Formats: sequence, C-alpha cells, structure tokens
Amino acid sequence: MKALYVSNTAYQNRSLPFYAIILAQQSVLIPLYFFIPVWITVLNITAALLVLWASGKNRFVINRWVKTLITLAAIAGVFWFFRKISGRDAGVALISAMYGLKIFEVNKKRDAYLLLNLGFFILVTGFLFTQKPLIALYQLIALLLILNALMQLNTLGSSSIKGLASTLKSLVKYLIFAIPIMVLLFVFFPRLAGPLWRMPGTSQAVSGVSDSMSPGDVSDLQLFEKVAFRAQFSGSEPSESLLYWRVLVLDEFDGITWTRAGSIPVQTGESSTHGGETFSYNITLEPTRLNYLVSLDRPVRAPVKSRLYRDFTVTTKYRIQDRTRYQLESKPDLSIEPTMSERRKAFFTQLPESGNERARSWAQELRLGVESDEVFVQRLLQQINQQPYYYTLTPPTLEEDIVDSFWFDFRRGFCEHYASALVFLARAAGIPARVVIGYQGGEKNPLSNYWIVRYANAHAWTEIWIEGEGWLRVDPTAAIARSRIEENLLNDYRQRETLFEDFPAVNLGDISWYQEFQYWLDDLDSNWNEWILDFNQGKQRQLFSGLGFQQIRDRDLIIIMILVSVGFVLFASLRQFHYKSEKSPLTKSFDDLEKLLVSLEVIEQNKSYGPAELIIRVKASTVAKKAELILLLREYIRMRYQIEANQKDVQKLVREFKRVTRFLKVNNVITRKKSPSSL
Amino acid sequence: MITQIRLKAYKWFGKRMPCGDIVEFNQRSTYIWPAASGYFLIFIILLMMVGATNYQNNLAFLLTFLIVGIGLATIIFTFKNLQGIQFALRGHGELFCEEFAEVEISLTSLTGTKHSAIGIGWSLEELVWTDVEPDEPSLVRLSFKAKRRGQVPLERILVTSYFPFGWLRTWSFFGFSSTVLVYPKPVEPPPVFESVGNQEEEQGHKKRGSEDFFGLKSYEIGEPLSRIDWKSFAREKGLYVREFAVFQGTQLCFDWDDYAGTDDELRLSYLTFLVIQAAQQQIGYSLKLPGEYIMFDEGEAHRNNCLKVLALYDTQSKEARERSLQ
Repeated sequence: MKALYVSNTAYQNRSLPFYAIILAQQSVLIPLYFFIPVWITVLNITAALLVLWASGKNRFVINRWVKTLITLAAIAGVFWFFRKISGRDAGVALISAMYGLKIFEVNKKRDAYLLLNLGFFILVTGFLFTQKPLIALYQLIALLLILNALMQLNTLGSSSIKGLASTLKSLVKYLIFAIPIMVLLFVFFPRLAGPLWRMPGTSQAVSGVSDSMSPGDVSDLQLFEKVAFRAQFSGSEPSESLLYWRVLVLDEFDGITWTRAGSIPVQTGESSTHGGETFSYNITLEPTRLNYLVSLDRPVRAPVKSRLYRDFTVTTKYRIQDRTRYQLESKPDLSIEPTMSERRKAFFTQLPESGNERARSWAQELRLGVESDEVFVQRLLQQINQQPYYYTLTPPTLEEDIVDSFWFDFRRGFCEHYASALVFLARAAGIPARVVIGYQGGEKNPLSNYWIVRYANAHAWTEIWIEGEGWLRVDPTAAIARSRIEENLLNDYRQRETLFEDFPAVNLGDISWYQEFQYWLDDLDSNWNEWILDFNQGKQRQLFSGLGFQQIRDRDLIIIMILVSVGFVLFASLRQFHYKSEKSPLTKSFDDLEKLLVSLEVIEQNKSYGPAELIIRVKASTVAKKAELILLLREYIRMRYQIEANQKDVQKLVREFKRVTRFLKVNNVITRKKSPSSL
Repeated sequence: MITQIRLKAYKWFGKRMPCGDIVEFNQRSTYIWPAASGYFLIFIILLMMVGATNYQNNLAFLLTFLIVGIGLATIIFTFKNLQGIQFALRGHGELFCEEFAEVEISLTSLTGTKHSAIGIGWSLEELVWTDVEPDEPSLVRLSFKAKRRGQVPLERILVTSYFPFGWLRTWSFFGFSSTVLVYPKPVEPPPVFESVGNQEEEQGHKKRGSEDFFGLKSYEIGEPLSRIDWKSFAREKGLYVREFAVFQGTQLCFDWDDYAGTDDELRLSYLTFLVIQAAQQQIGYSLKLPGEYIMFDEGEAHRNNCLKVLALYDTQSKEARERSLQ
C-alpha cells in the first residue's frame, strides 16, 4: 500500500499543463486562421510558442508592460486593417487576436479555466464562416482537446503528452451521454423565426445568376464548380433536353446591359391552363442574396411565400440569405401569352435609339426576305450553325457596338453574346423577344435521387414570341456546330457537353471510386443541409404536426424538452450508480450474513454496522454457531482491512461464509417451524 | 448571524453524514454545486445560445447543446467520483495535546474503478489530494492537533473533488466513531527541589551496597528457601520471604506531589515531559499519581502505559464537570 498524496498548496500551485492548454487553444483558433489576416495568425502562434518555451524551462517571465503593449498594438492593427472594429470579419479578427494573446495571462489555475471555457465560444465563431460537415467534425476534435486540457488541469499526476490518448478515451463516456441530450435539445429547443438583430456587414458577394446581364457575367460563373442548387423530382423526371432552369427574364437593353423592367404578378388560375406533362419537384437553393427562385422552365404556380410573375419569374419577398428548399410544379410545354396586346408587343421590340446599325438593317432585310417570324428565327440559327461562329470563354474584346462586332466581325463568344445578339436581331425585325437567364442541365447523383446544378451550369437563352404559339424557347448556343466549340472548354467543363448532345448517362458501375466518393460527399452535404443546417422553426413545427401535435407552442416545447432531458439524466445516472453488483465476493458474502442476522433479529434493520460492531452484537446474542461466527468476522476484518490478502485465502473465507450462512438459514427455518408447536 | 447559519448548516450536514470505523458515502450525504468555473461556463453557454439564435446557426446550436450534454454528464460523473470509496482509520502517530501529529486514513475503491483527484481533510483549506486506484488502497496522512487530552473523537472529515473539469465541486462529510488517545502536552518542568540532589546522593550511596533489604512478601511455592524470613515464621506470623532491591542506578520516581501548588493539567504536562525524556535516555522510572502507581520499569511498553495513564487521568470526572458547566 502506498501513501501517494499531495498537499493542498502543492496541488493548487503545481505547474499548469501548458502543452494541453496551448493544444486546446490553438486547435480552437486554427479554423479562424483561414479567415483572419495572416499577421494575427503569426502573432498568435508566436505567443503560444513563446509561452510553451518559457514554461518548459522556466527561463523568464514576460514583462507585464510588454504584454500590454503587444495587446494594444494588436487592437490598433485590427482597426487599421479593417477600418472598424464591428462587423463579422473585424470582430472575429479582434476576438482571435485577443484570445491568442490571452495565453500570456495564464499564470494560475483560474486563468486557465477562463481561457479554456472561453474556447467553447470561440468554436462558435468558426461556424460563422463555414458550415461544412468536415468543419463540424473538426470542431468536435477541438472540443475534446479543450476537455482534455480541463481534465489535465484537474488530475494529480504530472501531465504529459502521453496522457492525451488515455484522457481522450475516458472522454468517450461523456460524449455517449451528451450526444442524446444534444439531439434532444436540438429537436425541441424553440427557434425564433428571425434573428434577434442583424449584424452589419454580413452580406457577401456570393450569388449565382445576378439580376442583370452584361457580357461576361454568366461566363464568369461558368468557372465555378460550386453547387448552385439541387433538385429532386417526385414521380417522373423530364428528359435531359428539358432541363432549362429558369431564374429571371431580362427585357430591357441599354446597348450593353440587359435588365429586368419589372412585371406584374400572375393572378391565381391564370397560368395553369394547357396540358402537357407536369413535373413536381423540390429545389434546395444555395444562398443567392437575390429575390429570385429557380424553377424548371416553366413553373405552373409559385411555391409558398413567393410570387409568380407574368414573365414566369418566381420571386420571394426577401432575399435568399440561407439555403432554402421549396416545392414546385412545372409544365415544360406550357404556352405563355398566345396572344399579346400591341402595347406589350411594342415593349418587347424596344431597342436603344441608336447603335448597332449594321445588325438592325441586316435583320430588317432578312425579315423582308422570309415569309414568317418562325422562318426568320430559323435563319438566324442556321447562320450560327453554318457560318464560322465559335463558342469560347475567351472572346476578343468587343467594340462599342457589341452586337455588330460580335455578329459580323469576331463571331466568337459565349451564351450571353449569342442570346443578346439573337434578341437584338429579332427585336430589330419587329419580333417580340427577351433574354432568359438561368441554368441548363445538371448532374444526376446516381447514389441518390437528385440533380446537382452548379454555377458552371449557368446559362442564358432567349424566348421569341410567335403569334398563336406564345413565347418559344430558342437556345442559340445549341445551334453552334460541335466542331467550333473550344476543345479545352469541353474538357475542362464537362457540364457544357450537356448543351450540345444527349446527357451522358452515368452508370453506377462505371463511375470511378473518386467520382463515387465525390457523389457520396455531395450526398452527405445534401443530407447535412437538409437535416442539420436547414432545421428551423418551420421544420420543427412540421415535425411535430407530423407526429400528431398540431399547433405546438414554444412553452410546450420547453416543458417537453426539460421533462425528457431530466428523465434521460435520471435514467442514465441510475444506471451509473448501480455498482452494487461490482462488489467483491467477500463483501457480498458479508452483506448476505448481515441480512441474515437482521432476519434473526441479532441486529436492527436499516442500520449500517461495521464488522467490529457485528462481533459485539453476535457475542451478546443467542445465535447458533456463535464462536464460529465471531472467528469468521475476525478473519473478515483481517482480510478486508488489515493485510494484503492472498486471493486463495479470500476464496476460502468466502466459502466459509457461505457455509455458515447456509447453516444458519436452515437452522432458522427449523426453529421457526418448531416454535408454533411449542406454544 | 452568519455563524448561526454556519452552525445550523454544520449540524444539518452532520445529521446526514455517515459514521463508523469504516465508512462509505451514500448519495444522501453527498452534495454537489457549481464551482466558479462552472458559473462561467453557464455564462458562456448562454452567450453561445444567443449567438446561435441570432445567426440562426444550427451548428452553433448543436455545439451548444453538446456542451450542455457534457455539462449534465459531468454532474453525474463528478458525483460518482466520490461514491464507492471506503474510508478506514488505519492508525496514527503519537498524539500530544496541542501538537501536530498525523492520522492515517486508507481509501479503497469498492467500485473497481479509479477515483481521481480526491481531496480529503478537516476543511477546504486543509486538504490533501490523492487518487484511488482500483486495485490498491491509497493512504493519506492528515495532520491533526488535538485540543484536549484523553480519548478524543476525531473531527468530521471533509472529502471533496473537482474532477474531471473543475466546473463542479462535490463534497461529503464523514466521522470516525472510534476515538484517538491524546497524551497531555509535554511541558518542561522547572528545576525541582534542591533535595533532589541529596536524594540522589543518598540513592547513590545505596547503590554502592550490592543488596539491600527492601521488605517482606508472602511466600509463594518455588521461591528459594534461603530467602524465607524465618524470624517472622518463628513469631508465627506466617511464611514470608525477604525481598532485596537492587539499585543499579538512580531510581526515578515521577511524583504528582513533586509539583504541589501547580494546576492539575500542568502537572500532567510536566510528568509527560519527564516520562518522554526518561524513555529517550533509556532510564527506568516509576510514576505516581493520586490513586495510581506504576511500578518502576523501563522500555517502550512501560512508557506507553505511563503516557496512557497520564492521558486518561481524571478524564471522566473532568468531562462530567464540563458537562455540568454547560
């Protein structure tokens, strides 16, 4: 038996486990290092290394004034860099600088507690920048490292890096307990419909299609492999050639930029007229910070909380700030505006007063030479197909009259050039025409049933109005001969292929493991979005009404949450404290004897006796086998408390205990049977 | 006012605390409350909750709730850390009144698990910290200073732990039912009477005579016939044996009456001092107290016997007096 203990002063003043503290602190900061100015990162790491070095050798103490000076310099640096202290980016930079330098202040145990507990809050700021599954996994590790440091702070043994593995192992039981609680609270905790307050400066330029079109806008997007939205069809799916995802319609041209003039909302019942196949689907739209929703060309009616306009653009009242999911129905064959008023016709043939004169006269001439508007459009497409028109993402710089120089001189461009030129020419010929912006195609995730559409799928096409038919979709880019599409474009952006030929059907057996991994990741991402990131008040309500609780109130949620959590904690703690079964056989046989002695009325119930006291009681009683019992108890004391008992002897004693207990039990039964007769 | 509340709390905790020679806690007598760091954590959690709500950030919610879960788990595991430890009083060094000595307590894990960072002591300020390994009891020694001599009960003992994360403190009290023997405080007596010198001379003189007649003692079978005092036998007084004392050195007798006029407790302190000093010098001595006489002897057992007598002298009547005063 060893006497290993430390005095209170030694325990309170022992050196702090700096390696564990710094490991936790830096792991908390690492995700932020990607988003804050590099000099803060360098400063933080330098500070940490300095403290680590100083703690190991106990060489020096950093002067208090130096610390203050560094801290003030860091604050000034953040201000100088961002020109402000508020706002997300500046705020986080300031917090990370302060948190990084806080390590200088850690001298006592309570400083370490402050630093480590504050770390939990810093973890949250990491989620302001990115919410990918991977970062969540990483933050879990950082969380465990904080707990590790806290545990090292509270253990007696000298802490070392070797202890990390065993500590982490012991933390698993905390997680096993905490994760059900987390799920419970996540589901039940009442959510607010909106934020408490808007932080300034959170908007960021991340959008797919924007609300106007100048040359280069869409093609810039085509360089991004980032996901724009995901679509999942319930029931039949449209053929790939119908996968035109409409976002908005541009109908005003100033010579350079196409803009949306505005439209009036469609009254209910006005649109869902003619036949054709209906597709119903839902779309998970990544944040665009625009009001437009994506729909499959052409939407029948608007989803909830949004409006369908006469140009078949669907808009929401608020900009899409968060990843949004909505349910829609579309009829690709739906005809729009088979008849049109003269006023509207005039509007859709509007062009700038001047400019692009060659194109104007060329179109007018061509229109005079053909019998109908349809043939005119046909001719334009033929022109694109047969003349040397090229599709390239690196077109030459266009002159002032962009339509002229594109259509006649360079004949190189991307979808915006073609769409813009086609609409211009049609309008010049007096045919109502407009530009439609959206996405084309998509990639089907063969592992699950949805389509991934990326920024690279961004596209611009046209709609030409034909008397009696309404607006018809005309995609001039599709008319370009395949040989004139830049080779590297086909290679680099495989998405473009879907424009020109049948969708490559991906067989599950054919896809490479890398592709499969990517699909799996995307699947994970999608589920992550659906189940974790998008869980909001609406979904919460939906969940409970699905379970049969209509109109559940926040108060009820809180009550249920607390009741279920308390129930869980009680249940878990009962299990935890049920350690009686772990008692040693010797203690158990002693307990059995004690119980028996209670039934023999040698001792009283509900009172805990030590073996020494039992001996006294037994001596005073008239129990059978008294001497043997006393010997047994003496031996028990010797084994249990006094010597390091030999295992064999213990087993022998246990057997002896059992024998005597059994004898007394039998004896008790016999005497009891006797006693009534003797009365 | 505050002391009254403290006293009440002390009594309340005392009512529930387990007592015995060998003690385990039950859940009823164990308490748990947040430490300073725990309050700070609660503040941080609230802050995180506000942040998560404001940014509608579900990952922040998840993280917050995970920490809440870990916090709840910590309540259970902190509490559990103190359960299933058996405390036993193993023994103690020599305890002298108002002097520091150590009592030894063993901590044994009954659960078969490790109990980490257990603080044990008389109060929060006087703790020692130890780990209790599953397979081996650990020993701690608590410094102890008794305020009176005799059979003294130990003060209640506080057991506490902040393990694992320092957010919560759990604690419990227990008392040992057995008492410890506290000897009087040894105090060096003033140099006693001049007669001591004469006495010693006299005794020294005695020493020179190899055998001196000491007294008569009734005969017991087996004693040499040569020692029988035939004179007494002839006077028909019975069969007596002549006893001879051998004075090999100074025969010391520590006598209560040597210090007449001093306070009783002080006298005991003097005598204690003398006994200890004599035992250190390995000299034999006898001890005389009112109503008690311990024969001349030497050695460890004799010393302890003397000290015990000194410790227990008149304690019962003294306790009764104190009780009557209250």
